[in-house]
Amino acid sequence: MTFLQPFILWGLPLLLLPVIIHLINRMRHRPQPWAAMMFLIAASKASTSHAKLRQFLVLLFRTLAVAALIFFLARPLGGGWLGWAVNRAPDVIMLVLDRSASMETKLPGQTITRREQALAMFAEAAEKFADTSHLVLLDSANREPQQIGIASALLEPSLTGPTDTAADLPSLLQTARQWLVENQSGASEIWIASDLQASNWQEDDSRWGGVVAQFEEMLQPVGFRLLTFNTESEPNRVVSLARMGREPEKPDELQFGIDLSTTHPAFEKFPLKLNVGETEVPAEITMSAQRLRWQKNVRLEEAKGTVWGHAQLPADANDRDNAIYFVESEARESKAVIISDQPNEMNFVRYACMTAQTIEPAAVIAPSSFEEHSLAGVALLVWHAALPEDPTRLESFVADGGALVFFPPGRTNGTSFRGNQWLNVRESEKESFHKTGTWNEMDGPWARSKEGLSLPVNFLDIRRRQGLESSDTVLATFADGDPLLTRGRHGKGSFYFCATSPERDWSLLSEGGVLVPMLQRLMQTGAERIGQETMVACGELSPADRTKSWTPMDTTDYRDARIHAGVYRSGDRLIAVNRPDTEDEAEAIDAERAAALFGELPLQVAEQEGAEDQSLQGEIWRMFLMGMLAFLIVESWLVLPPEPERSTKSFRDYQSQGAGG
Amino acid sequence: MHLPLVSRFAMEGSVSGQHKSPHRGSSVEFAEYRGYVPGDDLRRLDWRVLGRTDRFFIKEFEADTNLRMQVVLDCSASMAFSGGEETRFDYARKIAATLGYLAARQGDAVGLNCVREKNAFELPPKRNPAHLQTFFDLLEQTTPEGPTDLVSALHDLAEKIRRRALVIVISDFFCPVVELMECLQHLRFQKHDLAIFRLIDPLEMDFSFDRPMRFQDMEGPMNLVTEPAVIRDAYLNQLNQHRDALKAGCLEFNVDFREAVTNESYEKVLADFLTERTHAAGMRG
Repeated sequence: MTFLQPFILWGLPLLLLPVIIHLINRMRHRPQPWAAMMFLIAASKASTSHAKLRQFLVLLFRTLAVAALIFFLARPLGGGWLGWAVNRAPDVIMLVLDRSASMETKLPGQTITRREQALAMFAEAAEKFADTSHLVLLDSANREPQQIGIASALLEPSLTGPTDTAADLPSLLQTARQWLVENQSGASEIWIASDLQASNWQEDDSRWGGVVAQFEEMLQPVGFRLLTFNTESEPNRVVSLARMGREPEKPDELQFGIDLSTTHPAFEKFPLKLNVGETEVPAEITMSAQRLRWQKNVRLEEAKGTVWGHAQLPADANDRDNAIYFVESEARESKAVIISDQPNEMNFVRYACMTAQTIEPAAVIAPSSFEEHSLAGVALLVWHAALPEDPTRLESFVADGGALVFFPPGRTNGTSFRGNQWLNVRESEKESFHKTGTWNEMDGPWARSKEGLSLPVNFLDIRRRQGLESSDTVLATFADGDPLLTRGRHGKGSFYFCATSPERDWSLLSEGGVLVPMLQRLMQTGAERIGQETMVACGELSPADRTKSWTPMDTTDYRDARIHAGVYRSGDRLIAVNRPDTEDEAEAIDAERAAALFGELPLQVAEQEGAEDQSLQGEIWRMFLMGMLAFLIVESWLVLPPEPERSTKSFRDYQSQGAGG
Repeated sequence: MHLPLVSRFAMEGSVSGQHKSPHRGSSVEFAEYRGYVPGDDLRRLDWRVLGRTDRFFIKEFEADTNLRMQVVLDCSASMAFSGGEETRFDYARKIAATLGYLAARQGDAVGLNCVREKNAFELPPKRNPAHLQTFFDLLEQTTPEGPTDLVSALHDLAEKIRRRALVIVISDFFCPVVELMECLQHLRFQKHDLAIFRLIDPLEMDFSFDRPMRFQDMEGPMNLVTEPAVIRDAYLNQLNQHRDALKAGCLEFNVDFREAVTNESYEKVLADFLTERTHAAGMRG
């Protein structure tokens, strides 16, 4: 409970007034000669317990009436948002707004989104503090605190409209704390509105501990209030681009792999509109499961040049995840680099990495030269050496979308790469081989071909293998269950560990049936790193790109490339901006887990069930006024004299009771 | 028409008067026939009955006599209580004096007992006019003081008065009802016509104090500091119980119970008293 006129609470000692008046009254006793003392003495002995209780209740209700009057004059605000603890209005109210794409999910049975609902409630709640507190808005898209003159400005679309960005809550709280410190604000409150999407809150992030500790160390009191939403929503479909590109032999055909998912529990049909340049390709999607990869080849008018477009689903619970945008340029030259301390053993790999654009075999460099070697245009790194002491450059390469595959060096040096470590080398028995067990034929570099043909993994004769300690996804195993091929993810890219080497004395991997498609596929996967300039996650434009002027290609409406998805042009360059993949993850943490992140910091959580409950708080002076009247009525009733009783008893009755004096 | 002071029961007076006597007398009102016994006055023989039936009957008539009225006045300190201008004792004196005057005018004997623990005194009933003046002088000179001794005084009185009399007790009766009823019963056992006047002050009935008070006992050293609002209900309950018990006892033992609040007109109280007694006894000629 917060008070708009908190200084009136200094009048709370007036609660003692009825008690003091009562005590003073008792001290002002007057002498009175009295004849009927026998009745007085009997009365004071027999009846005081009930009368004292009544007197106590009278005093209590008088005190409560005074308390209600004081609270009424102090203009209290209360409700689930503010709780019932007594607080004064803060000097600064910072509204931390999650403007991520998932906040555009409509409330169940409503047409307004979570963001709109949060803003309406924030604006109403903040309006009560217009005279007492500074309002500051910090939203996840702009990430810069800005002061708000009037609470109704929160409803301005230019300030708080929808975006396709993701939110980074730990970072936002760090920014909020920084602003409060720099502006030397007094008592402050941070009001957070979020749908608690797990990818936005990043509860495993190490920054949480730091930011909570920093808030705890602040001299001025900072309170937190968290507005969350019921995770339930209407059925929602999500579209994302899994794959897009042209085969070298068919440069006039653009191949799409579009992932579709739905929360609709039952079989459903819906249209999908795919626009490729000027061409519109309508399609009817039939979903019998909750996930589907829809593949489509679209013939282009010209084999060369840049193509852009988008795929669009019909409206549903969240319109922000119904579209994807793409820009496709001609195939660029992508190449592989082999890092090996045995370059002669890697010839097969060098040739296996050749593509139509790269007519020369892949380069082989020594591990010691890797730090200086340029990685421009490199889609695949093959690491055939002991794991590096400093994996920073390798990790950065993978995080940017590159593909990295490790082959066993035949020795161990105790180092590891993201939890993976080589163990001892094992030789097979004479005249026998290590046999392969199972492998993933649906996903990964050893998946089946488009025609459904399996790679000849089970024909690999493996004479030597090196043990692997890994917690990553196992894509293939030996017959004894040990991992043969694993995949780990980091950032936008993936890294693979293969437990045998293509060297002659290790395995028949070099014969090509498995190695070539594997490396070609990995180069294709890693090509995302090269093509990243055309496909950008919303909110992740590089600092240089953020300063450029970007014009939307498919609409004349206002769009900002920094926060809105779409296809944009700046000069000759085209980019497709899409919401980050993490925004499509439906997983949300619950309010208890979110509250646990704040540690000992004061936090009030309000969960919004639906749009009908529009108010976070309200002036509750009426309640105190009614309370005061009720207390006074009860007090009046208690001091009313009782009805005299008419006696119909006989003297014998009194004698039997021992009455009469 | 003036209201007479009448007895509800037969009185044993020494002279002829307005009150019914337990003995047969020479009034004009026929009482009964009875058989002749030797020694009866032959002048009272009913000759007509003798002529018709040849049997001897004596014709008897009612006798009228005067009464002795003994006024018992509580002179304890509690009678000095006043919630306004007039004390309870002043009010009691008016009632006593008026009743004494009425009785003396009818030719009845009037006596007075001033009851208190110390210095109690008694004026025996007489019927001469000079005695009435003495009665008035005594009433005027008496002041209320000390504790009450009403119960033992009434027991003594019951033993002392040999002949039937009208006993009028004027008091606040602030003493245990059970003991009080025992002495009233004692008086009734002696066939006295008994009437009591319970005098109560309006302040004692309302107990309307708005602040804490130190109540000082008028007949003793006790002080009680209390919040009247707290004990008011219980006090009034006690007071009403006492009154109800006293009234119920009087009804049971055929004692004429009168209650007077000291701010109401004593004439009205006495008028009601006389009227009801007259009706109860039946109007005589």
